Amino acid sequence: MLNIIQITLKGIFRDRVFQGIMALAVLFLFIPSVASLSMRQVTELSITLSLSLISFILLLLAVFLGATSLWKDMERRYTFSVLSLPISRSSYLMGRFLGLTLFLILTSAVLGTVACLVIKIASGIYPSERPIVWAYLVLAIVFATIKYILLVAVALLLSTVSTSLFLPIFGTISTFLASGVTQQVYEYTHSQEATHAVSPFSKYIASLVYYLLPNLAGFDLNVNAIYSIAPNLPGLGLTIAYFIVYTVILMGLASLLFGLREMK
Amino acid sequence: MNSRTPLILLLTSLLAYGLLIGPFTTYMRNKPLEEKLGYVPSIKLLKLFCADQKELVGASLVMKVLMYFGGVAGKQQVVNVIAEAPDYQGMSRLLHGAVQLDPYNMDAYYFAQSFLTWDVKQYKLANELLDYGMKYRTWDWYLPFFAGFNSAYFIKDYKKAVVYYKRAGELSGQDLHKSLAGRYMLESGQTEFAIAYLSAMEKGERNLSVKKNYQIRLKAFREVHRIELSRDNFLKSGGALPVNLNKLINSGLLTPAPIDPYGGTFYLEPDGKVVTTSKFAFGGKK
Repeated sequence: MLNIIQITLKGIFRDRVFQGIMALAVLFLFIPSVASLSMRQVTELSITLSLSLISFILLLLAVFLGATSLWKDMERRYTFSVLSLPISRSSYLMGRFLGLTLFLILTSAVLGTVACLVIKIASGIYPSERPIVWAYLVLAIVFATIKYILLVAVALLLSTVSTSLFLPIFGTISTFLASGVTQQVYEYTHSQEATHAVSPFSKYIASLVYYLLPNLAGFDLNVNAIYSIAPNLPGLGLTIAYFIVYTVILMGLASLLFGLREMK
Repeated sequence: MNSRTPLILLLTSLLAYGLLIGPFTTYMRNKPLEEKLGYVPSIKLLKLFCADQKELVGASLVMKVLMYFGGVAGKQQVVNVIAEAPDYQGMSRLLHGAVQLDPYNMDAYYFAQSFLTWDVKQYKLANELLDYGMKYRTWDWYLPFFAGFNSAYFIKDYKKAVVYYKRAGELSGQDLHKSLAGRYMLESGQTEFAIAYLSAMEKGERNLSVKKNYQIRLKAFREVHRIELSRDNFLKSGGALPVNLNKLINSGLLTPAPIDPYGGTFYLEPDGKVVTTSKFAFGGKK
């Protein structure tokens, strides 16, 4: 499996994905100037922009690397030669997943460091009335990273059953968008005001979708980082546990489906 | 298509581009500044689709309003005339939307406070927005400070002003707010307090358009204060209120003659209250 992880990482670097990220990361240089347009919260805006940029880059990586990694191997028939070696399909899939995960962590670490420098500069020019809590900023980046690792697992799961690239890419994007709002929909359908407006059947469907789709809203610690608001520690523990369990379910299902898949 | 065709096409199009770019740039430069706030989808819809970028979308809505206002205010301050009134309703809608996406966004509260009160006279709406912000920005003394000023100066609800100023005092640790609350209860020196408030706002302002706006208003209120002082001196010495401003100017109590930076003319109401034909707004002159 270690070989697969290595090959995955090498493949990503060979495709010059990291160079592409660094080109996009040039946008960090403009953050202090853009943030200076704010009336009262320059530092806060610089944190907002930095976290948004990191999140956007990680989203692109999770969707496109996650959706194309397996599909590309099958399309180019690399899987036949790889799977003819003494390696199980599950190990191959897990190797791919861990390789992508490592790459996301590496990217987050690099972008996070750049973001911290940019925020330090912006806050030095226009000091904030509320001090920056760097630990919250790091936590927000860590949780954004694990959120996108979970999304990679979604993309890989969809890749195992799809014969084209559309389902993994659009399926992952749709899952990402839907999973950001399931919490709001669930809360609304279970609120007093929805008692008469929402039928019991719709409520049941909303609950079902809520439990089935990943709840990515829990990983969003942007507000805590931007406004230095202490996060709920037991809640963070629960979120990490949720991430581990959900990712294992996704990868377990993906391994099962990949094992059953016919390859001609 | 022979092998030279692409090269000929490229050279021709480069030449055409060179000829076109000049007039195109001139056209774009002379194009009237788009000062419309433009269409923004419903906040409920935005909330659904902006995923984990709510703070960014909220900040961009505030920026959109700031840029728009900067353009309109810039024109007003240059020519002292208003061709088209700013779309205050649209601005308010966007800022209310911004705080629904990011209830912690200080720029939205701060900017809404600046125009909802002085320009639109929607004091209660401004205080409702500030009350909403206070639920989230629990550490911020500015919001109760603004709400206290609105309650006392505009709404004349002194009891409420005291509550807000007390909260501002607790959060900031400054006795100033408590003393302000005490003074407001006396319902005196309103112009002085407006000057003190505007000076504080102007000093902390970084956006040039908004800063300029505060400076103009401050200038107008300083003129009002000057007239009030000379009116009071006239009353003391003569035992009666002056009939008009000319009385004050001719008596030498008001020199030089006051100038309304908004282009209006100051006058005295029968009860001695100082008002202006501009109503402290560009284009307000009748």
